[in-house]
Amino acid sequence: FNEKPLATPATRKLARDLGVDLRRVPPTGPAGRVTKDDVRALEAPE
Amino acid sequence: MKTYDAIVIGAGPGGYPCAIRLAQLKQKVLCIEKENVGGVCLNWGCIPSKALISAAHLYEKSQAGAAMGIKVSGVELDANKMQDWKEGIVKKLTGGVGSLLKGNGADVVNGTATVVGPKRVDVTRADGSVEQFEATKAIVIATGSTTIEIPTFKFDGDTIIGAKEAVSLRRVPKRLMVIGGGVIGLELGMVYQAFGAELIVVEALPELLTGVDPDCTKIVERKILKRGGTIHKNAKALGYEKQKDGSVGVKIQADGKEQTIVVDTVLVAVGMRPSSKGLGLEKVGVTVDQRGFVPTDKFCRTNVPSIYAIGDVSGPPLLAHKATKEGEIAAEVIAGHKAEKDWVAIPGAIFTDPEIATVGLTEAEAKAKGLEVSIGKFPFSVLGKAMAMNETEGFVKIVADKKTKQVLGVHIVGPEASTMISEASLSLEMAAFLEDLSLTIHPHPTLGESLMEAAAHAMGAAIHIANR
Repeated sequence: FNEKPLATPATRKLARDLGVDLRRVPPTGPAGRVTKDDVRALEAPE
Repeated sequence: MKTYDAIVIGAGPGGYPCAIRLAQLKQKVLCIEKENVGGVCLNWGCIPSKALISAAHLYEKSQAGAAMGIKVSGVELDANKMQDWKEGIVKKLTGGVGSLLKGNGADVVNGTATVVGPKRVDVTRADGSVEQFEATKAIVIATGSTTIEIPTFKFDGDTIIGAKEAVSLRRVPKRLMVIGGGVIGLELGMVYQAFGAELIVVEALPELLTGVDPDCTKIVERKILKRGGTIHKNAKALGYEKQKDGSVGVKIQADGKEQTIVVDTVLVAVGMRPSSKGLGLEKVGVTVDQRGFVPTDKFCRTNVPSIYAIGDVSGPPLLAHKATKEGEIAAEVIAGHKAEKDWVAIPGAIFTDPEIATVGLTEAEAKAKGLEVSIGKFPFSVLGKAMAMNETEGFVKIVADKKTKQVLGVHIVGPEASTMISEASLSLEMAAFLEDLSLTIHPHPTLGESLMEAAAHAMGAAIHIANR
């Protein structure tokens, strides 16, 4: 559980839009960044 | 024979940082310089030109205060004093470079270098004596570039001049012709125009500042014309004849017609040529291309594994910050680190009036790559801070990928464009999306807000302009 995951504002916005908790997303981006695709991969299939 | 880990030839903005970085990484390093440390950039390029440009800007602003209610009369330029001030800056900076090299433990030798082997360099000093040096690891070629001379306009140091003389004039020419509407020609031409010279620009190509977003160039062109200057495009300067009164009649060909324009000084600024000749490179098997550039790989290595090349001599863009970055990369590679050229984009700053600064792809370049683009534009004419500064010409233009919204390029013309482009460069390096820029809170009132608003405009959500 990271206090503040490394993600750009656009990625944070996507997480908000999809209802994903960024702190639960395993980062695959450069320098431990959470990417948009990381967020989408965790999107709850409802 | 003295032995070093690495030998750097040239102490310009590529060479001296390379030598400093090598020394920082515990490498025994020698830096060879035949003229002054600091190279073109410090001695007669970037720094001197920017000093004159800032003086010109102040001169112009001092007379444009009437709108703000500031009455000034009798503003005069003492060109001698201005030059002395500029020389002081150059001296201080070059002295600083010398101290930095020394402080980091890099040795400096003054003389002309000849590469005599893959790891051997001879240095000829001013008195003709030759000293031999050996590098156990690498030689770095950082010899820079020199002003291109046109055969029909041989430099005489007074009437027909290059950039080197143009930053050292102790008078303001009444009529100045600039051959070459590139960065150097326009920057220096506009300095003397601001000081009252009549400026005539002669450009061989259909556009000034080829490669720069034409919308940006237009703003600068308008300013040149507004100040009473003339611009000849698709034009060739054929030659000149000295007049009795010391002026020169320059024959130019434009639109198929020949005409003679009488001026006092001609600044030839058609470009820079890499300084790769006479170094002995071909003898040791280093490939030099047809234009004189030394091709390198992503590690700044030439085709000879022990010989590296950085900066102007290794190819365009011919910019100081590109040279410096390559210098650092070469140093790290030589010291055994995992470094390579991996930048997204190199920003360019053009100190015309107003300034132009650009990074990444232009609209035309993006379309040529087959990309669909979204364009965002925000003019300084509606920005509070720009109005408060009384400098409202220009705009910020953002080019983004229409599908992903990733920022591909930023082009700014207007006040402090050169400062603002750094944020745009960071955006590109971070692979920022339009939202990243528009969601970042920018302080108000500042010029930087224009970047945030241009990004919002590209998404149809700008606040201070109509979203069309």
